[in-house]
Amino acid sequence: MQHEDPRNGESDHRSSKKPKLSSKFITESDIRDEFSHHHPRVARINNGSFGSCPGSVLTAQRHLQLQFLRQPDAFYFNTLRDGITASRKIIKDFINADHVDEVSLVDNATTAAAIVLQRIGRSFAEGKFQKNDTVLMLHCAFQAVKKSIQAYVTRAGGSVIEVRLPFPVNSEEEIISEFKKSIEEGKSNGRKIRLAIIDHITSMPSLVIPVKELVRICRAEGIEQVFVDAAHAIGSVKVDVKEVGADFYVSNLHKWFFCPPSVAFLYCKKSTSSSDLHHPVVSHEYGNGLPVESAWIGTRDYSSQLVVPAVLEFVNRFEGGIDGIMKRNHDQVVKMGKMLMESWGTNLGSPPEMSAAMIMVGLPSRLCLNSEEDAVTLRSHLRDRYEVEVPIFHQVSKDGEEGVRDKDGFISGYVRISHQVYNTLEDYEKLRDAVNQLVEDGKTCKMLYTE
Amino acid sequence: MASSLHDAPSAAVNGTSAAAADSKSQVHKKPRLYADPSPPLFTPSDILSEFSHHDPTVARINNGSFGSCPSSVISAQNDFRLQWLRQPDDFYFNQLQPKILQSRTIIKDLINADHVDEVSIVDNATTAAAIVLQQIAWGFAEGKFDHGDAAVMLHYAYGAVKKSVEAYVTRAGGYVIEVPLPFPVNSADEIVHEFRQALQRGKQNGRRVRLAVIDHVTSMPTVVIPVKELVTICREEGVDQVFVDAAHGIGCVDIDMKQIGADFYTSNLHKWYFCPPSVAFLYCKRSVNNSDLHHPVVSHEYGNGLAIESAWIGTRDYSAQLVVPKVLEFINRFEGGINGIKKRNHECVVEMGQMLVEAWGTHLGCPPEMCSSMVMVGLPACLGISSDRDALNLRTCLREKFAVEVPIYYRSPKDGEEGGVTGYARISYQVYNKAEDYYKFRDAINQLVDNAFTCASLPNS
Repeated sequence: MQHEDPRNGESDHRSSKKPKLSSKFITESDIRDEFSHHHPRVARINNGSFGSCPGSVLTAQRHLQLQFLRQPDAFYFNTLRDGITASRKIIKDFINADHVDEVSLVDNATTAAAIVLQRIGRSFAEGKFQKNDTVLMLHCAFQAVKKSIQAYVTRAGGSVIEVRLPFPVNSEEEIISEFKKSIEEGKSNGRKIRLAIIDHITSMPSLVIPVKELVRICRAEGIEQVFVDAAHAIGSVKVDVKEVGADFYVSNLHKWFFCPPSVAFLYCKKSTSSSDLHHPVVSHEYGNGLPVESAWIGTRDYSSQLVVPAVLEFVNRFEGGIDGIMKRNHDQVVKMGKMLMESWGTNLGSPPEMSAAMIMVGLPSRLCLNSEEDAVTLRSHLRDRYEVEVPIFHQVSKDGEEGVRDKDGFISGYVRISHQVYNTLEDYEKLRDAVNQLVEDGKTCKMLYTE
Repeated sequence: MASSLHDAPSAAVNGTSAAAADSKSQVHKKPRLYADPSPPLFTPSDILSEFSHHDPTVARINNGSFGSCPSSVISAQNDFRLQWLRQPDDFYFNQLQPKILQSRTIIKDLINADHVDEVSIVDNATTAAAIVLQQIAWGFAEGKFDHGDAAVMLHYAYGAVKKSVEAYVTRAGGYVIEVPLPFPVNSADEIVHEFRQALQRGKQNGRRVRLAVIDHVTSMPTVVIPVKELVTICREEGVDQVFVDAAHGIGCVDIDMKQIGADFYTSNLHKWYFCPPSVAFLYCKRSVNNSDLHHPVVSHEYGNGLAIESAWIGTRDYSAQLVVPKVLEFINRFEGGINGIKKRNHECVVEMGQMLVEAWGTHLGCPPEMCSSMVMVGLPACLGISSDRDALNLRTCLREKFAVEVPIYYRSPKDGEEGGVTGYARISYQVYNKAEDYYKFRDAINQLVDNAFTCASLPNS
């Protein structure tokens, strides 16, 4: 599918099935039905962690699961491969990849990171890389990815540079500037930077990163390969892998793209080295290319990889399809973020244009959220006592830096709120009122330990 | 007691004849580890109902490839899936880890492991192989092993495992030795003999044998390997580590970790232990340097031990790992529990195998004592199975024309051999099978023979 000319205004997203003119759009009541399996009383404002999946897609998945159980051999020989290829083709069009061979389906971004990093590890072991060759990552990279770097890079003799991003952040320029500084540091002492790992949307704290610009800088600075960890991207921001220009790009489909747990795509730009990528769980298809290897890693339930067509049908029932969903999610999460910020007298962690369907909102300093443990305690308390599900971030204050204050002190805690199609105003009012209640009652996080 | 399949199929086979004969003794008070009070034994109609989701038109005699799962267990699995979807954060923080630990604890008792730390749950034996072999690759990369140190595996090792050995051992500089095994096989001694010879080859030129990969029950062709004896030989011959690939182990043959004595042992629970797809355990003896075993999909728990690492490898559906308690309940409603099931499966598959070889004038691939709940049955030579492709095509023909699902194996003829049996069917027996399944297969082959069918006549041959 071609890249639309932006001068023509908001383009219909690249989907292989366009909404029929005659069908009505999904209604509020349809949406409630589709998500009726969600806990009805929980204010579910954490779509970022585990995603969500509508009832019609779950039904399609169950049907496939039963098909396998009914006659697994026939399913294996006649249905499975073609179904996975069909899903890959849809995704290839969606993300503007050149060729379906560039698209593999794996369980999740964590698996994709292992695939990319295991190759780095092999390169050290086989003498292609020298000791202390470097991998660059963001300081706030997802913890699982950091561990994967430890397992496959550090262990193999590589060194790691972490880019410290400012938070709260005020502009993309702040991020670009820090990134450039880290590259300089990385290249000092003649070290070669073999791989840069850049989040498209960071997890905690959540920010939309200017990946296209950062990838361009990587190329200009001679960084060998770039891996974009876009776990949150598809269904939340526009994904155009050619425009981003990275060598590897992964996104989970079960977070913001309505797939059941779990499925992700890993895009690998065709190059001389792309044939040396392997799924770590080696099976019969070893050596036949990553997409084919990944399509069979032993007997398992592959049904979540097969429902992408059903998801596309679901998404196209919404006005504007996925573009419409993304726009409304963004507008709503910003609106709700501002509502909370005003009620609590705090701040947003980033300007609206650096957020997608999630945004960080400062918590009142009077809660005295002073550690990671406090964040966990407060989160559990909100879940257990107020039926509010929202992840909480502890902002470590930097030496010598004042940080952002509210009327009572430093803002050291943030909630990461999200908006997905099933959310309602009441969800955020519930969160607002819960926090206000805690402040009114004079509670600090430490007091909540014993409750 | 010989199973009287021809008279009253399911009842006798599934051990309910005693109950049928005397309904007053239906409720048996057995010592139960986990469920109390004891529910009644299954009737044949209960079993039909538990497997009513299977295609009723298909003679399903391939339990070995993908296993089977009763509907009460599927139901329990769906409950867990819904719990997750309903409030995933709550499930993640409060339910998931305790429930995985509960499954691991049950497995530890079933396999006679010393400590639950020795038991990790992974997707399947393929994943377990990657875990064990990856540490071998590190051994080479980090200079613990010398280039050319050897790994030994059976010629009949599972295809995926062979590829894994290529990816993690050969690529890292290891030398791989395959143990040729005779097939058809006549005795365990033949296997032991070949294995000893292969180990000698392994140790030539001062090489160390770093790992032996031994199947407990080979896949194609299927034979029960005398693992305990082979492990003993490995210890005598100074093999560093022994990994038993028992994909078909639990629920199919007797398994006892301490008795077998391997360093690593993996078995799928979805093949013969009624779990849904997919779940397997990997046992790692505590004396092994376990700190160096890692799940290749690295997540938050890296460094906290393989079992903990494996219990969280990113967002996924872990529900298959959580239903082990429910499976135990299911199994305990059969006379003799899993041991009763294994015994009856074995007896029935041998009986059915002998019925088929008599009908076709062929032979079994091994003596009855070397098969489990699967056995290789020779196919009439006139079918002309002369390649792997022929075997696959014949399998497809049986599926599509006769509604029989059974995997077919091609054995290349030895030098000078002509007109012998080159094709074998791997028949299996599980609690849902009945005599009619095997009659259907018998009749299908007889019909092909009557029609002078040969594999050469199939498309793609």
